[in-house]
Amino acid sequence: MADYSCLIVEDSPMMRQLLVFALARVKNLRVTEADDGVDGLRKLAGARFDIIITDINMPIMDGLKLVKRVRSDPMHQATPIVIITTEGSQEDRQRALQLGANAYITKPIQAPQVIAKVKELLKIE
Amino acid sequence: MTADKKGTRSDRPLPELKKERDSFVQTFFKKGAQFTQELVNENSRLRSRVAELEQETAKLRTQLASDDAIRELLKKIEGLEREKKSLLSRFEKVEAASSKWVDQYTEVEGELANFANLYVASYQLHASLSFRSTLRQIKELLEQLVGASAFAVYLQKSDGRTLVPIVAEGVGKPRSVVIDPDDGAIGEVFSTGVPQIERGDLGQGSIDNPLALVPIKMEDRVVGVFAIFGTLEQKPRFLPVDFELFKLLGAHAAEALVCARLFADAGHQIPSFDSFFDPEM
Repeated sequence: MADYSCLIVEDSPMMRQLLVFALARVKNLRVTEADDGVDGLRKLAGARFDIIITDINMPIMDGLKLVKRVRSDPMHQATPIVIITTEGSQEDRQRALQLGANAYITKPIQAPQVIAKVKELLKIE
Repeated sequence: MTADKKGTRSDRPLPELKKERDSFVQTFFKKGAQFTQELVNENSRLRSRVAELEQETAKLRTQLASDDAIRELLKKIEGLEREKKSLLSRFEKVEAASSKWVDQYTEVEGELANFANLYVASYQLHASLSFRSTLRQIKELLEQLVGASAFAVYLQKSDGRTLVPIVAEGVGKPRSVVIDPDDGAIGEVFSTGVPQIERGDLGQGSIDNPLALVPIKMEDRVVGVFAIFGTLEQKPRFLPVDFELFKLLGAHAAEALVCARLFADAGHQIPSFDSFFDPEM
């Protein structure tokens, strides 16, 4: 049985698959995927997650709105959120951190970097 | 004679003799007292000297005992030093082995991540039979996995003399390229089939100064070229996995696009089972 659960919110199937592969290296971590912000909120409504990884640029509901919504929900107020950004989106990154995101990863993502960040936030040795 | 002797003895008067005797006795006693005092003093000095010597002896005994203890302690220190050296040497060996394992672990983790990248790239490239989706996957592969910020994918036009950009990002709409090995790097790469990839620091690329040009092949026939004109800021150089991704894209992009095109042209109809049957197999 998994000790930790992670929600990946990412519209790109390629990035999602890459993140799933990376996080498969973290022991006892169950990963749930969502296509966009709305799908992410739907999945958050029914379950508690230990960490959320979300892209910023997504159709329907972007990562910034998702971070805002997550932080306004008492159930997920303390859940660590990692955002995925590109180097050009400094403002988005700042805004996401102001809204309550805990950390960010810059594209192109490297699996060891993702694993390290998730372990750090989940306090896994 | 006897009388003389008697006379001599009694020549001196008695009081004088008495006085002489008293003086003698006084001197005798005085000297005796003096001598006794000297003896007492000498005795006292000797006693003091004996006490001093006893003290010195005691001190020497203590020092001797303390020297023994120091010798013992020195021996123990030597033993501990030897043990420390041996432990340090063992610790260094263990640390070196541990560091080696950590390096190997990091290397393996890196390789796994690279394999995952390649697997995801090839999986996604062939995941769809929609032409548009396949194009999007090629675009994402260059953006998300390689970290390209400006790029274009050119395919050969049916006239055989021109390369047309079918997808582009970060460079507006690039112009078509006339295939001429002597006129521009894109034409050269198409004509020779040999990729041109910057192996050092990437710096600023542009349409006139591409960072990577890779021929797109189909069954060893070059049918196009993809060009990277710029990368994300945090991508200072191409990594070994990028070169593998370039190979993969060069070898599979055309197949994926042709399959998607043929499937669309066939009205998304899957060929019947009979068409797969080869009587010679």
